[in-house]
Amino acid sequence: MSVPFSGALRRSGGIVSAIGKQLKSVNLKGVKRITVQFDPFAENVKSTREFLFLLSTPKVAATNPKCVVKPEIVCDRQPANIKFALIDSAQEQAKVKEIRFNSDNLNTLELLQLCNKHVSSLAPPEEVTNKVLTKAEKQKLAGGASGGKKAIKKK
Amino acid sequence: MTTLIQRSLPLAKSSTPALQFLRFRGKINIQRPKAPHYERARVVAVTQPKHPELPKAKSCFKTRAERTQQQQENPYNEIIAREVRNWLDHSRLVAFFHLSSITADDIFRVRVQLHKQNLHLKSYGSKIIEQAVKNTRYEAIVPLFHSNHCIVFSPNPEKTAALLRIVRRVPQMVLLGGIVEETMLSRNELVAYAQMPSLHAAQAQLVQTLSQAPGHLIQQLQAHQNSFVQVLDVHAKNQMNEETPEST
Repeated sequence: MSVPFSGALRRSGGIVSAIGKQLKSVNLKGVKRITVQFDPFAENVKSTREFLFLLSTPKVAATNPKCVVKPEIVCDRQPANIKFALIDSAQEQAKVKEIRFNSDNLNTLELLQLCNKHVSSLAPPEEVTNKVLTKAEKQKLAGGASGGKKAIKKK
Repeated sequence: MTTLIQRSLPLAKSSTPALQFLRFRGKINIQRPKAPHYERARVVAVTQPKHPELPKAKSCFKTRAERTQQQQENPYNEIIAREVRNWLDHSRLVAFFHLSSITADDIFRVRVQLHKQNLHLKSYGSKIIEQAVKNTRYEAIVPLFHSNHCIVFSPNPEKTAALLRIVRRVPQMVLLGGIVEETMLSRNELVAYAQMPSLHAAQAQLVQTLSQAPGHLIQQLQAHQNSFVQVLDVHAKNQMNEETPEST
């Protein structure tokens, strides 16, 4: 009697690689403006500050160069929050004008996961532009078509 | 005499014992040792050293090296902590910033611009700052260093406006707070401090305000004389204007 296998075959890389994996799938195409508001002396702002840092990395910023990340510092110890102001097509899709995360009790990984779940899914799909064919590719296509015809003729 | 044979005692006869060589051709057995005799095994078991084991909960996931050896803190950290305390004590203006992702080129440009204004850009690890600042009057700044940060020190607090002007052009640096003349200021308070006039200008304003009350009194006392003089002036001018057209 053997117990069927359960569990993972590979060991997980830890929280850092989980954050890296989430970061790769962040897409800010559907966002016009991100406002990160926090009080630096409040408790539990570490995750908000880390999130602000991760949003400012060149790879994430490259997903939408028009999106502005604006940090707002307040001095009244109110809990930290992050607001995503959506573009028009995303607003229609989600039926809301902006998405707000209350990040006081969320850690960095959870923030990224929620961001991917709610915000990255609202990114408009990329339009496929017409690819310019090189001469070699054109010959290959033409050769393939005529080669097929020849084979049929021979038979 | 030399021919005399020395008669030695029978027990004093010495001869080399029969030697039995154990090693032959180099390779000896180490991997499969013979099981020791019971008596020998008993002695060996009793004489094994006993090491103190930490309570299981703490030592469960540590390696043997971590369990047996004490981790000594690097003494270099103490030196850096002293440097941080030095900077904090001798700077009349200290500003703390959150640093988003920035290239080394850009931060170097900012550093150069700040240096021209005698503002020094520094950054230290959060553990070192905690060590430097714990149990001193600067303890409140510790929560600012949990994420990527930088600090600007300056001996002249009047450079606050220049600092804010330079940092405004850098979106990656976010002002969190500061210490001016041994007073901790939040971000809004620091911005307000920067917009305040200099000490000389403030003193001049104070002098002006103080002299406003007696100045007002003098103005009221002299009001009639001043208005009379003005009326006379206007009258004289009119007369002159009338005379000159008449003469032409």
